[in-house]
Amino acid sequence: MNPVILYNNDTSANVPVEAPVERQFYPYADNGGTSLGIAGADFCLLASDTRKSSGYSIHSRYSPKAFKLTEKAVLATNGFAADGLALTKSLCQKLEWYKHAHDKEMSTPALAQMLSNTLYYKRFFPYYTFNLLGGIDDQGRGIVYSFDPVGSMGTELCRAGGSSAALIQPFLDNQVGLKNQQGAQQTPLSLESAIRITKDAFTSATERDIYTGDYLEIFIIRQEGVTVERFDLKKD
Amino acid sequence: MSILEYNGGAIVAMVGKNCVAIGSDKRFGVQLMTVSTEFPKIFPATDKTFIGLPGLATDIRTLSERFRFKINMYKLSEEREIEPRTLAHLVSSTLYERRFGPYFVEPIIAGLDKDNQPFICGMDLIGCINFAKDFVVAGTTTDSLFGVCESLWEPDLEPEDLFETVSQSLLNAVDRDSLAGWGAVIHVVTPERVITRTLKTRMD
Amino acid sequence: MECLIGMVGKDFVLTAADTSAARSITVMKSTEDKSRDLNKHVIMLYSGEPGDTVHFAEYIQRNVRFYEIKNGIELTPKAAATFTRKELATSLRSRHPYAVNLLIAGYDVTALSSQLYWIDYLGSSVNVPFAAHGYGAYYTLSLLDRYHRPDISLDEAKVLVKKCIDELKSRFIINLADFKIKVTDKDGIREIEI
Repeated sequence: MNPVILYNNDTSANVPVEAPVERQFYPYADNGGTSLGIAGADFCLLASDTRKSSGYSIHSRYSPKAFKLTEKAVLATNGFAADGLALTKSLCQKLEWYKHAHDKEMSTPALAQMLSNTLYYKRFFPYYTFNLLGGIDDQGRGIVYSFDPVGSMGTELCRAGGSSAALIQPFLDNQVGLKNQQGAQQTPLSLESAIRITKDAFTSATERDIYTGDYLEIFIIRQEGVTVERFDLKKD
Repeated sequence: MSILEYNGGAIVAMVGKNCVAIGSDKRFGVQLMTVSTEFPKIFPATDKTFIGLPGLATDIRTLSERFRFKINMYKLSEEREIEPRTLAHLVSSTLYERRFGPYFVEPIIAGLDKDNQPFICGMDLIGCINFAKDFVVAGTTTDSLFGVCESLWEPDLEPEDLFETVSQSLLNAVDRDSLAGWGAVIHVVTPERVITRTLKTRMD
Repeated sequence: MECLIGMVGKDFVLTAADTSAARSITVMKSTEDKSRDLNKHVIMLYSGEPGDTVHFAEYIQRNVRFYEIKNGIELTPKAAATFTRKELATSLRSRHPYAVNLLIAGYDVTALSSQLYWIDYLGSSVNVPFAAHGYGAYYTLSLLDRYHRPDISLDEAKVLVKKCIDELKSRFIINLADFKIKVTDKDGIREIEI
């Protein structure tokens, strides 16, 4: 059928559309995932699941978001994965420059401060990531730093971050911070206990949070260096 | 802010071995301002059943009175106590009556039936029932409660262990919620008796 | 902008309400009594939408009185609060809900105890040792938290309510010129000066 005949009664069909077409672009996404950090007396534990999702889709079952930055520090990034990767890349470059300039690796507290500065530098177009930095300080003590997307920083005994933060944090308060336990002695936490608590926390979070699951990577940072352990989580 | 979060509050119920436990916080607030710290949200339905009503305080009061009325009427006409499962459906249909202008509460029912079998269930504000075998949570602290209950709960807990599990779950969860806490009440229902304890908590 | 304060003492309830009736930015009257006596031992303080307030308060006042004439029983503070709460809760889901916040204070002559109920326009009702409505609550509740005791004497309560009012005068941007302070105890309701 001839379109001219079809539309020739409709005057608007013959007039070119001149109104500007509005399109919108949202520069962020939420890729889910959970991380957890526990500071021990002479070690630090930093764990993350490896699922990467968006809405109801799982993009990847093994897409790590925790990265070894130095021999004494590991960074876990939650939230928007692309920003997490870009941030990690930028930090690694800055660490490289630091090594060339000072002929030594950056200390963990300095790295934490640098991360805070890096995040704040993009205050008005932030890296949409909720970061946990785990490591050991100059005295060899375990330490966990947590950050918001614009660089507010805090040091903690234990901290959960990401999509299951609300599910895991009260459990950590109870089992690591020994909150609400009358007469409990705050004895130094052993690495074995920390790993057990971490596995418990993640298996529980996996049950109730669709954005957490697949695999669990546990980084253990000690004076001797960083080791990684991998465990299975449920894949449903 | 959601109407369900206007006054704050949290409730959790768990199943144990021939027993159930239900606990709530005691805060009553108006958004972030705490008005009272003596506002429990759990009401006895029968000797072995409790209803927990977290949500909008005015509807908590209205519904607790309506349910008291309905439960008494049931007892008078049937000449027996209402079963927890029956009560769940009574609560559900009472809420669904107001499908398009709901009461802003998410009830939880916990009790032992006539054979002393544990029963718990949760509900949304229009009465969609969730029959759970392990635990149910509701209120402003659901995420934290889910996480901590999922980690601490295990099957076949004896009454005293169940009490400790519910208490620790509730306390540690509400300590991370600014809208809930300020004291807590726990009821443990066993075939022989109901154990009710008031817990001290952080007051911030 | 309005402020109601109440506190339960050893054998009395002390209540205070600001006396300004404002329309927009203008104070129309500065001697308004924002309370109604429900009976000899129960007083109701109100704030909220002008028009709704007095109408609702008098509606409650008359119905409480009507009940007492019909049944020959004086309503306890709890009974009055429960009745009032239900009226508000019913009104909330009506076509034109009352926007009225209340404090119901009174002396229970049967239980020989003083009581205070905090009720908001939604129909939320709580029995409290002390309470406040309006922006004033943000300034006074901390003082009441710090200094109120269940066995507080009338003289101490007067000092405390004075502290609360002084705080409002120094920190609250709205000038609440004066407060009407009343005491309810076994002898009834009376206005006092501080």
